[in-house]
Amino acid sequence: MKPLETRLARLARKGDHRAFAELVELYKDKLYHLARRMLSQRQEAEDIVQETFLRVYNHLDRYDENQKFSTWIYRIATNLCIDRLRRRRQVYSLDAESSEHEGLDGYAMLPSDDRTPESELLLSETQRILHDAIETLPAKYKSVIVLRYLQDLSLQEISEVLDMPVTTVKTRVHRGREFLRKKLERKL
Amino acid sequence: MQKGMALMKCGIAIALMHEYLDEAELTHEQTKRLQAHLDACPDCRQRFESLERTDALIRALPTPRTPEDLADRILRSLPKTRKPRAWTTWVRRHPAASAAALFVLVMLSSFVAMWNQSQQLSVSGSDLEHVVIQGHTVIVPAGQKVSGDLTIENGTAQVLGEVQGNLTVIDGNVALASTARIAGKVKTIDRAVDWVWYKVTSWFGSLAYSS
Repeated sequence: MKPLETRLARLARKGDHRAFAELVELYKDKLYHLARRMLSQRQEAEDIVQETFLRVYNHLDRYDENQKFSTWIYRIATNLCIDRLRRRRQVYSLDAESSEHEGLDGYAMLPSDDRTPESELLLSETQRILHDAIETLPAKYKSVIVLRYLQDLSLQEISEVLDMPVTTVKTRVHRGREFLRKKLERKL
Repeated sequence: MQKGMALMKCGIAIALMHEYLDEAELTHEQTKRLQAHLDACPDCRQRFESLERTDALIRALPTPRTPEDLADRILRSLPKTRKPRAWTTWVRRHPAASAAALFVLVMLSSFVAMWNQSQQLSVSGSDLEHVVIQGHTVIVPAGQKVSGDLTIENGTAQVLGEVQGNLTVIDGNVALASTARIAGKVKTIDRAVDWVWYKVTSWFGSLAYSS
């Protein structure tokens, strides 16, 4: 028998709305967490989650039942996040050239309005530093770190989500971890 | 540390630290050698502690709370009916059959187009000077010679004279007078299938000659 998600996906494909609602219920928190860590901003994260489910809904026929549903949905969400990061960097680097903010990189210019910890999370100083360090990770390290640590995916599954060899995933986890360690060490 | 066992290099020790944090099972031997290295190298010891702390801190980051109404908004944003993609799925699963079906469709439509096009009389041949056309009837008058083939579409051929090639009549009739002499073959094509076959073979024929 296929796993629950696969069975739900099959029902949803046949037009069962309740099955799809159940998939939303199962994955919305995970995807929101993923998007929040990848993009930091609340509005963007919500958009990504919404867009992910819309794509899942429209492409249910393309879902290969031999694959884990989680791998498929994580792939869609991660790709959307990476795209968003890429576009964001382009926009900001364009801005940076033409404005007085020269020398600042895109990340430094991001509005930080909804990063106030009081609104949602009470973060310790250390957690705040770590949070900011994750935010400055280059996208290719960020995606593996977020999938590995915050979604608790195995290296094997990350390699399937990102469609790259396990050895590459491993190297990126190691480099990402070193990057964060250095950031923390400098600040603490 | 055991005697005779060289201390591993820091680079290898660091790689092992990461393996350990990846929750990969280090072999008993690897664990022992890493431990020996850490005991002897304060830099690596400090690095390992720092990595372990980083690892634990990342895991301990609190999960952001998902907005309460997100699920509702997602479900409301979906199109009312899922796009019926049944046929695209079928196409994806049967590429060969789809290609064949498409081919048949294209052939049929071009056939229909050609069929409709050719409701009027048309006469072709290498020598049409000696031919008389009256309404839908093409006459080869008595005593006249048509050198070469004569092809008539949607009309009647009335031959009183001589045709020195083939006479082909498509969707029409042939009336041969007793004086008629036709050197080649007389062909009448009435049915659509024959007509298509004629078109196809003459098309291939023209390909063969033009090349």
